Amino acid sequence: MLRTLSKLILIVTLISIFLVPLCFLVLFSVSANWWWPELFPGKFGLEPWFRIFNQPQIKAALWTTLWIGFLVIMLNLILALPIAKALAHLDFKGKSIIDTVFMLPILIPTMGIAMGLHITMIKYGLADSWVGVVLIHLLPTLPYSIRILRTAFEDLGVKWEEQARSLGASGITLLRTLWLPLILPSIRAIIFLTFIISMSQYILTVIIGGGKVVTLALVYFPYFNSSNPGAIAVLSIIFALLPLLIMGLWELIIRILFPVKKLKS
Amino acid sequence: MFRIILSCLIFAMVLTGCSKGDTPKVSDNVFKQDWSQIEAAAEGTEVRMYMWGGDDNVNRYMDQWVAPRLKEQYGVTLVRTPMNAPEFMQKLMTEKKANSLKGTMDIVWINGENFKNVKANDLLSEPFVQILPNYNSFVDGNSNNIIFDFGTPVDGKEAPWGKVQFVYLYDSAKVKNPPANFTELAQWVKENPGKFTYPDPNDFTGNAFLRHLLYQQVGVETLIKEGYNPSLVSDKSKVMWSYLKDIKPYLWKKGQTYPQSLTQLDQMYSQGEVWINMGYNEARAEALIKQGVFPKTTKSFIMDPGSIGNTHFLAIPYNSPNVAGALVAINFLLSPDAQLAKMDPAGWGDNTVLDINKLPVEYKNKLDNLQRGASVLKAEDLANNLLPEFTPEYVNWIKETWLSEVGKTSN
Repeated sequence: MLRTLSKLILIVTLISIFLVPLCFLVLFSVSANWWWPELFPGKFGLEPWFRIFNQPQIKAALWTTLWIGFLVIMLNLILALPIAKALAHLDFKGKSIIDTVFMLPILIPTMGIAMGLHITMIKYGLADSWVGVVLIHLLPTLPYSIRILRTAFEDLGVKWEEQARSLGASGITLLRTLWLPLILPSIRAIIFLTFIISMSQYILTVIIGGGKVVTLALVYFPYFNSSNPGAIAVLSIIFALLPLLIMGLWELIIRILFPVKKLKS
Repeated sequence: MFRIILSCLIFAMVLTGCSKGDTPKVSDNVFKQDWSQIEAAAEGTEVRMYMWGGDDNVNRYMDQWVAPRLKEQYGVTLVRTPMNAPEFMQKLMTEKKANSLKGTMDIVWINGENFKNVKANDLLSEPFVQILPNYNSFVDGNSNNIIFDFGTPVDGKEAPWGKVQFVYLYDSAKVKNPPANFTELAQWVKENPGKFTYPDPNDFTGNAFLRHLLYQQVGVETLIKEGYNPSLVSDKSKVMWSYLKDIKPYLWKKGQTYPQSLTQLDQMYSQGEVWINMGYNEARAEALIKQGVFPKTTKSFIMDPGSIGNTHFLAIPYNSPNVAGALVAINFLLSPDAQLAKMDPAGWGDNTVLDINKLPVEYKNKLDNLQRGASVLKAEDLANNLLPEFTPEYVNWIKETWLSEVGKTSN
């Protein structure tokens, strides 16, 4: 009884919170005009889709978003792995200070940091370039990556590593055969989260990218100031599909890299 | 491990920091060149135009009409960058602070408060409109709507691009003779109680309605010339507040409440609750009629002393990397062809800034024949009744005074 009830609650919540709005989005994106007080759109058509994809920026923006997202993910992993490992397993002077510093970017409003960094980036020639955008996207992503991986490393402890070392493993072997498989679920979480955060950055991308780096968010956000439900719906759907695409790609790569192993750890 | 990472990071920062350090010079002599030289310099270059990107019709006009022609006729590649005005203003501000002489923006689309800010902070290029052949030939450089942007003198630092005018809408099936001035309006309101109201002055449109009334009571010349002068206005505006209090009992819901936004007034109008509507953009009813929101019998009218209009402008930032290209692009956007295409009711429908009387006969005819729709007034009527916006400081003054004079008193 209790079980069926909780199942029912789960299903109702799922449908009303996730599925219904999604259906409305899809409906809006294919309805030519839909005005109050009509219950259903009078005309259907793919016009909003054509309109959005006729914009020359949109395809370029898609690639830019994916490219920047990919680089931000890579940098996040390259930086967060050693930092998290050190914070989890090593003891050194000033550890708590460094820990706090790594958390600061998500505690201080990024807007404030971005303004200051913009001036610095202009001086170093990084403003208005994708390099600058990738670097600035580390600001809202790296703290989370470090947190996630640090927890993973702390949970796993040092015993595994000690054992492997006693058997003669070290360096790359240790990373490849021990740590990477063990923290794979955390890496998956990081990839997903990092990509979503990176692709949703509007202000940071606008300020540092200066309009030269046009990501999807730049095309998408200005539409909120208008009364064009069709365009907003189309862009929202694209926006929602991108992270799923990244997730699919990741699963594919993992399956190729580790063909037999079950991924559930 | 940690130390290695840290040193790597520092190394990387130093490396990227050293890679670019050159500060190119701005070619300010462009403004002194002949037009043919400017066109030659612009050929084969890229112009980056920063503008609000939230309207499909505007975007399509830029991408599908302007960009290909600019490329074909002048060899200029136009890159439209969608960005809200506050953001590119912020960007420009920081660039100025960092003393960056080579930015990324060649053209920005602004007006009103934004222009006031960039001008006050000296973020724009030197005056350029006199260089543009199309400005010199077709724009009336003495018109208040061209030389003032919401009361701020333009001083040639921005070129007009388009304009919208404040008009009143009425359902011709229900209203036979729309009022021609505020006296007639008061009379009409009293004869048709409950069929008229205006949005709360906190709303952009409601405020414009009161600005129109203020023009009527204080006088056009006075408001433009005096700038912000509440003491002068408060004395002369007493008639205005008593006018509003006088019609209040005959308004929709007896004036106990006002629509909070133009959207609400639009809805009330489309349901037939009120018979008179209003708003900026003289052509806006056309699209709403086509969508079936407004009745087909909707027409527009203007009342004395005229129709408030504001102009939107194009400016060149102080650190534009391609001034010649920007000048050529702006000149093209001011060409009669581009301005006519912009007016197409199936597209953007934005009114031209060109002076009809200065246009060649061919374009004059085209303009006369352009069907903006039955709900839109004739171009000549609109142009002859145009009133400029006065300084934006009055917007708040109107909000506050209205609340104490009209809003709070319930009779």
